[in-house]
Amino acid sequence: MREFMDGAEAIVRGAFAAGCNFFAGYPITPATPILLRMLRELPKVNGVGIQGEDEIASIGMCIGAAMTGAKVLTATSGPGMSLYSENIGLAIMGEVPLVIVDVMRQGPATGGATTAAQGDIQFLRWITSGGFPMIVLCPSSLADCFKLTQVAFNLAERFRAPVILATDKEMVGAQQSVDTDTFEKIEIVNRTLAPADAEFVPYQIKKLADTPAFAPIGGPHLTRFTTSMHDERGLLTKKPSNVNKTSRHLAQKLEAHLAELEFAQLDAQPGAQTLIVAYGVTARAMIEAARNARAAGKRVSTLVVQALFPVPEKILCAALTGVARVIVPELNLGQYRLDVERLALALDVRPEVLGVNRVDGELIAPAEIEELIK
Amino acid sequence: MISNLELPTFKFEPVNLSVNDYKSGVPPVWCPGCGDYGVLASFYKAISELQIPREQLAIVSGIGCSGRFPAFVEAYGLHGTHGRALPLATGVKMARPELTVVAAGGDGDAFSIGMGHVPHAIRRNVDITYIVMDNEIYGLTKGQPSPTSPMGMEKKASPYGTVEQPLNPLMLAITCGATWVGRGFSSKPKELVELIKQAITHKGFSFLQIMSPCVTFFDTYEHFKNRTRPLPAEHDPRDRMSALKYALEDQTVYLGLYYQEERLTYDQGYAAKRQTLPNYGVRQIMDKYRR
Ligand SMILES: Cc1ncc(C[n+]2csc(CCOP(=O)(O)OP(=O)(O)O)c2C)c(N)n1
Ligand code: SF4
Ligand SMILES: [Mg+2]
Repeated sequence: MREFMDGAEAIVRGAFAAGCNFFAGYPITPATPILLRMLRELPKVNGVGIQGEDEIASIGMCIGAAMTGAKVLTATSGPGMSLYSENIGLAIMGEVPLVIVDVMRQGPATGGATTAAQGDIQFLRWITSGGFPMIVLCPSSLADCFKLTQVAFNLAERFRAPVILATDKEMVGAQQSVDTDTFEKIEIVNRTLAPADAEFVPYQIKKLADTPAFAPIGGPHLTRFTTSMHDERGLLTKKPSNVNKTSRHLAQKLEAHLAELEFAQLDAQPGAQTLIVAYGVTARAMIEAARNARAAGKRVSTLVVQALFPVPEKILCAALTGVARVIVPELNLGQYRLDVERLALALDVRPEVLGVNRVDGELIAPAEIEELIK
Repeated sequence: MISNLELPTFKFEPVNLSVNDYKSGVPPVWCPGCGDYGVLASFYKAISELQIPREQLAIVSGIGCSGRFPAFVEAYGLHGTHGRALPLATGVKMARPELTVVAAGGDGDAFSIGMGHVPHAIRRNVDITYIVMDNEIYGLTKGQPSPTSPMGMEKKASPYGTVEQPLNPLMLAITCGATWVGRGFSSKPKELVELIKQAITHKGFSFLQIMSPCVTFFDTYEHFKNRTRPLPAEHDPRDRMSALKYALEDQTVYLGLYYQEERLTYDQGYAAKRQTLPNYGVRQIMDKYRR
């Protein structure tokens, strides 16, 4: 069916499809449309939606609710992400399933509230102290907004970790006509619950890369969660062997399962010497540029990166192998290009890596990319 | 019982619980003589007298010496970030209103870094009990002045003496509209047990300030010894002006219930609004939710 909608609505539908039942957030352009819809719809499905007194409170409420078993969402923009930072650390440390939408806007601090940008991505990757990996997804179409929001919930549940959906003002705010039959409903994954009748230790795992079973506050076990470095029982510890175990576990539970975290769409053209790598709203310009180039008889491959972090290295390396030139258009000064260059350096035949970068608040036009396709 | 979210609920057999049944077995790590021991002992006693099932009790804290509280109680525990006990507790309460939720922490946690949350938890009247162990100092970080430290306090972080006037937590809570406001002292266990029981029993946001001296960095036992007094019998806790009058008193530290009123709690109010809405399934939201 054809509908007219924006990305905010597709994200909200994705959240409901994934079983979201709790939202807390603080209004900020351009993320407010998500907040408005969540606050309006959640009470109708027996859920809870709260406008917090600020971002720190909002994410705190989300974490409290998530630990009782709720599936939670929050949405903000760059300034709010800065305020979320510490409690994202709490979610990593306490192993809290949590989905966060960052609707990127331009510049540091208040920046340009109504201006498109993709300047947050490396910030999102290392958004909190301590240096632990984050999952960051990025939709580039309405169908992606719907699907990747569900994926974000599934990964948050699967890994008991915060997951960020990085999007931008254009993706979320621009109305488009879309065939909703292309919206893919995926199977819901829920966190593994600790059996009610067996003895329970809050952070017990067999292997470092395992995700511990979850016991909700209010559930059959008197469970304990903490933001401090802890042992298996969830009690504060300084013992080097415990600290080492918890630290390595927090990294390995993602890094040992990279295959589950790689999301990208390769449109390879045989014999193409040029590859374009893009994400979010910029991927749309890329697709248009490739279409035009192909119509003009040029050969070009495209890669839409849907999971920015952890970097889908397998897919990227395969796509980079054999091309002479890689174009990375971004609405920042070349943040993802850093990773593309890093991977290109490791190849036997190194492709040249070119950036198309805008930070003036305007979108990259297909023609700006097309120029570089040889 | 209103369950806000459709989360699985669990039935627990009622058992008779002694004070020891509420002890987690984790020994507190506080300095010998710390007021927080007194608060914890009174807390155990209060919840055992109320016979709150352990599976009905969630304790949420921020960071500080006092923030260690959840580890010592046999209940659900959430030890969060510095100053964020109230948002975390609000999330827990709104998702599972059937639980008794207690937030606990220090004066720095409450009135410095976490101050932005206090008036909002109060105005929402979230049905939680907030226990602030006020030692008028930052204990965990080794003795810097806090928002309740007396003016002129000389510490390493205030080498020439503080020039800021301390906050009055009781005035703050009363004027923000808290529905239950009380003050106790860690060295007066009998009265403190009663206050904790009342605070937990009250439906709505209960604000309990407990003077709990830090023997290591700001030993105020002598100071409080001759200054604490129960609120006079003629004080009516429904009289806000009278509550403010005693809260303003600075020569005498009055202990007891300052103020109480009944008001719809946050979870009740939210559930009532929700009752007025058509109840959709998620499928219907997906289909119907179009402009
Ligand atoms: C964001 C952040 N800033 C600073 C700290 C360091 N810190 C930990 S506890 C604390 C103050 C503790 O004082 P209080 O809340 O009164 O608790 P007490 O130790 O006295 O019980 C500070 C500044 C921290 N943990 N997190
Ligand atoms: S430093 Fe002060 S507040 Fe902390 S445990 Fe010791 S006496 Fe108690
Ligand atoms: Mg203190």
